[in-house]
Amino acid sequence: MNATGIPLKEPSVSAAAGATEQLERAYIDASTRVPVLMFYTSAMAWLILGTLLAGFVSFKLHEPDLLSNISFLTWGRVRPAHMNVMVYGWASMAGIGTAIWLMARLCRTVLRYPLLLLAGACFWNLGVLLGVCGILLGDSTGYQWLEFPGYAAIILFVAYTLVVSWAVLMFRYRRGEQIYITQWYLLGAFLWFPWLYAAGQLMLFVVPVQGVLQSAVGWWYANNLLFLWFGAIALGTAYYMIPKVIGRPVYSYHLATIGFWTYALFSSWTGMQRLVDGPFPAWMITASIAAMILAMIPVATVGLNHHMTMQGYFPLMRYSPTLRFTVFGAMSYTVFSVVGLFISLRSVAGYVNFTQTSIAYSHLGLYAFFTMVIFGAMYYIVPRLVGREWRYASLIKLHFWASAYGIGLMTLMLLAGGFLQGADMENPTLPFSETVETVLPYLRGRSLAGILLTAAHFIFAYHFGLMLLGLGRTSTVPTFLNPVEAEETSGGH
Amino acid sequence: MKGLAPLFLGIFGTFAFSWVGLTVLPNWQIGHLNPQSDEEGTDIYPQPQSGMFERGARVYAANGCIYCHSQQVRPAYAAADIERKWGDRRSAPRDYIFERPVFLGKMRMGQDLANIGAHASAEQASPAPTGAAPPGGSPSGGTSPAASPAPQGGAPAAASPAAKQSPNPSPATQGASPGLAGSPATASSPATAAAASPGASPGSSSPPAGAPPPGPKTGLASPSPAAAANATPGGVTAPSSGSQTAGPPWPIQTIGEPPMYSAAWHHVHLYSPRSINFDSNMPAYRFLYKKRRISDARSVDALQLTGSDAPPEGWEVVPTYDAKCLVAYMMALNQSHPLSEVRSAGGAPPAAASPAVSPGPAAAGSPAPAK
Amino acid sequence: MNEEPKEPARVGQGMDYGEQADVQQVHAAVQREKREPRVGAEPLSIWLIAIYGLAIFFGGAYLGRYSGNFSSGGLDPMGAPPPAKKAVAGPAGGEQAAELSPHDRGKKVFSANCQTCHQANGQGVPGQYPPLAGSEFTTGGSRRMGMIVLKGLQGPVKVKGQQYGTAVMQPWDKTLTDKQIADVMTYERSEWGNSASPLTPEQIAALRKELANHPESFTEHDILAAPDEDLSGGAPAGGAPAKPGEASKPGEPPKPHG
Repeated sequence: MNATGIPLKEPSVSAAAGATEQLERAYIDASTRVPVLMFYTSAMAWLILGTLLAGFVSFKLHEPDLLSNISFLTWGRVRPAHMNVMVYGWASMAGIGTAIWLMARLCRTVLRYPLLLLAGACFWNLGVLLGVCGILLGDSTGYQWLEFPGYAAIILFVAYTLVVSWAVLMFRYRRGEQIYITQWYLLGAFLWFPWLYAAGQLMLFVVPVQGVLQSAVGWWYANNLLFLWFGAIALGTAYYMIPKVIGRPVYSYHLATIGFWTYALFSSWTGMQRLVDGPFPAWMITASIAAMILAMIPVATVGLNHHMTMQGYFPLMRYSPTLRFTVFGAMSYTVFSVVGLFISLRSVAGYVNFTQTSIAYSHLGLYAFFTMVIFGAMYYIVPRLVGREWRYASLIKLHFWASAYGIGLMTLMLLAGGFLQGADMENPTLPFSETVETVLPYLRGRSLAGILLTAAHFIFAYHFGLMLLGLGRTSTVPTFLNPVEAEETSGGH
Repeated sequence: MKGLAPLFLGIFGTFAFSWVGLTVLPNWQIGHLNPQSDEEGTDIYPQPQSGMFERGARVYAANGCIYCHSQQVRPAYAAADIERKWGDRRSAPRDYIFERPVFLGKMRMGQDLANIGAHASAEQASPAPTGAAPPGGSPSGGTSPAASPAPQGGAPAAASPAAKQSPNPSPATQGASPGLAGSPATASSPATAAAASPGASPGSSSPPAGAPPPGPKTGLASPSPAAAANATPGGVTAPSSGSQTAGPPWPIQTIGEPPMYSAAWHHVHLYSPRSINFDSNMPAYRFLYKKRRISDARSVDALQLTGSDAPPEGWEVVPTYDAKCLVAYMMALNQSHPLSEVRSAGGAPPAAASPAVSPGPAAAGSPAPAK
Repeated sequence: MNEEPKEPARVGQGMDYGEQADVQQVHAAVQREKREPRVGAEPLSIWLIAIYGLAIFFGGAYLGRYSGNFSSGGLDPMGAPPPAKKAVAGPAGGEQAAELSPHDRGKKVFSANCQTCHQANGQGVPGQYPPLAGSEFTTGGSRRMGMIVLKGLQGPVKVKGQQYGTAVMQPWDKTLTDKQIADVMTYERSEWGNSASPLTPEQIAALRKELANHPESFTEHDILAAPDEDLSGGAPAGGAPAKPGEASKPGEPPKPHG
């Protein structure tokens, strides 16, 4: 340890990469530039649009007369539009962009068949655009998380097929025997998503299941999307970024293996807990709740793995944006899972079902966990693609704190509001409008959090735009969040 | 991990396991239900709906009603849905077999709609509205000739719904012992919705025009004289408001408005939610309505708007076809028909109530669905 | 190694990101990176195994306890068997045991079949579905009404002075039995202020035979061409149907009143 307290040298094995490895990486990065930037840029655009829509959603919920008579801005349409833009526009594309870069790096091969990815990105954008316009103009299918009308869904599916073909090919051409942890997660994600999407579309639209099963399939799809697509990408990314940035190996292979398989096994069985007390055979619901309990196994495992990997290196979070975002995200995975379990237990669910707590849960997963990890990844990857460093450390800090406080506030507001709303709903002597009155102040608080998040996203988009235009800093030293007053920093970011 | 094959197999296997367990198995168990029917083959429930109902469901989906409203009644041991008179029994899979998409919902910023069609007054012709105001609420009994004995305060059981057909002042009281928590029958009772009855409303617009056929989801239309809690088929409540201490939280029917939950009411509610319920958080769906000049006479569809929402002299607001379909859809939402696999609320067969019920309930022989 | 790149050679990738054609001078960020991540091999901690055990135990216990016997009908997680058919169908079953009157049976048929269009209050929907309350067809002779119910009606028709014609009424001869048709007609003819003679299944059976060769539905013209009389063989005309509560045996003409 030196004066700054940052342990910078690996005691036994040098963390610095050899020259060949560096060249190899440089080539790989150069080859990934256009596809990854294309996905990232599209994702940023969708993030901005989604954030604006989110503003509408949040404000209109407590100010219902705001712009209420315009049909394509009515709350019931803007809300699914927001969600779908965020899920299929921002999150999926940013996730794919990150996964592309990670796959290329880990397969240690230059990116092949970039056209597949470029075409995929174009179709994906087209699909999301058509879908969002369709929803706003009144073509929403009415199934939550699958509101895109058929004409958009099919385009998305085509786009996806292109992307997954690429992933399989890359895997085929990988070098090296070992398949690193991240690659398990990414391969899983790339395979699970099309199966999920196809199953959802088939069972709801093509050969529809009867009655309440539609809801069951819908929530099975939604939760699996959250875990097997987004969660898998985020966990894979964290498994790369954390050891990479601090230069230490992941703590334990065994933990990683157990974590991966239990994650796949148990998280996929969740979903039905959102339907507690609904018109379903009880065993389905209980199976999902039990799965949420068992999903504590991967949470504990992965959490421990990351924690032990980071042991002694937590101070680095002060300097590295990537580490900060990634660790925040990884910790949020634990919080998200625990909160999710708590609100699913039958005794609690009776209170909180149909309240804002489920929104808190979804946002914890999609934002606090997935999006923050992806932000971290973007902060790492983009400089390597554009050859510049992030220009303003202050903007990165603002982004982090606005996001962190924003999602924190939002979660608190919605959980608290939701519990109170639920308690009121359970009290039949209170008129229903009382339950709405109770939660309104919390919804206003959520709007406040939304303002923070909006600021964060605009800041990031601006910063990202600067990088795209080649206006980043030309420097060998990365953009640290706080100045490092050390002597020779041979390692670092 | 070396080797792609075990990885791939594992990825596939875990996914397949969850897919089979959570979608295929349940599909095998409850994916091919038939409607229930009685021995004679009548009284089929539920029945597939078509026409305006289907289009209405699409309007419901397109405008995202599902994001604030649920359509499922939770069992009494788990939640207060039944006590809130949102249904007289929990929802079962069989209730939804003909719906596509199914709008179970996941959020209640607005109340549950599973039985909203059942609450509508069946009364068009009936004279004064039944003042079956929320029990505990004003003993509207005062205004109603249809004899609703004053609803009990406290216990949810309440006044008899007005049924046009119940000349007998219901022995609601006996059925209504607080013991029978939530003796509901509500929903079904006067229900079957039908076209709204602006019973009280002065002539003009009769909503029937706006109220397309409600689905006969319930076979038992008769209002049960006994215990029926509230079906507030609205109507004018006695000015003695200030009530609702204990009792269902319906918004109180105010004078001058169309009967609660009638088609006309739905139209006004969609057009201007806060004119009906000041605390409402629902957005206004004015784009589903058209404002136009009155041609010869006020059209039957015209909305009964008051106050600042009312159109200027010589103009009227009429629903578009989509609005009519949406209301038709809602008027058909009715899960009050008993199902043999689900216990109707109230628990034990109405030992007390049935004697009161069975011998020629004036209303109609049909037994009260809920006991 | 760490020197700044000199004159960047332009590589045709759009923006000048300072990429080097000369591979000896790689981007600084890549240079300073650490090695690709590796994995260590620490063993599992005993505490973690304990957590696994707890999770499995609670998860399993929860699954066992709240699964309603894993049955398709088990909506109740505590596994209570669904109520016996009798108990719930209680009043319905009870009533049936007590023999519903034709009026009440008819009401059930009406609710299940006719109410969608004609509404529970028999008022129909203006312009679309004609009313039954006070309708000349419902309260007039049962022959015309029987024809409509059995074979359906299409085309424009005037009821109570109002024109209808957009909707088509389906024939019910295949869907309902004679008894059901008789009951529902009885109900309709005695409800909502209507007061016309009841019908028996035999009358409907006879009418059915008469109309056996008439495949399509009727039009207003056909109906008006038929005599406005009651079907023969039924209760004396003008008799009000039995009041509910005076349960009569099915099939037996209700006792006439006054």
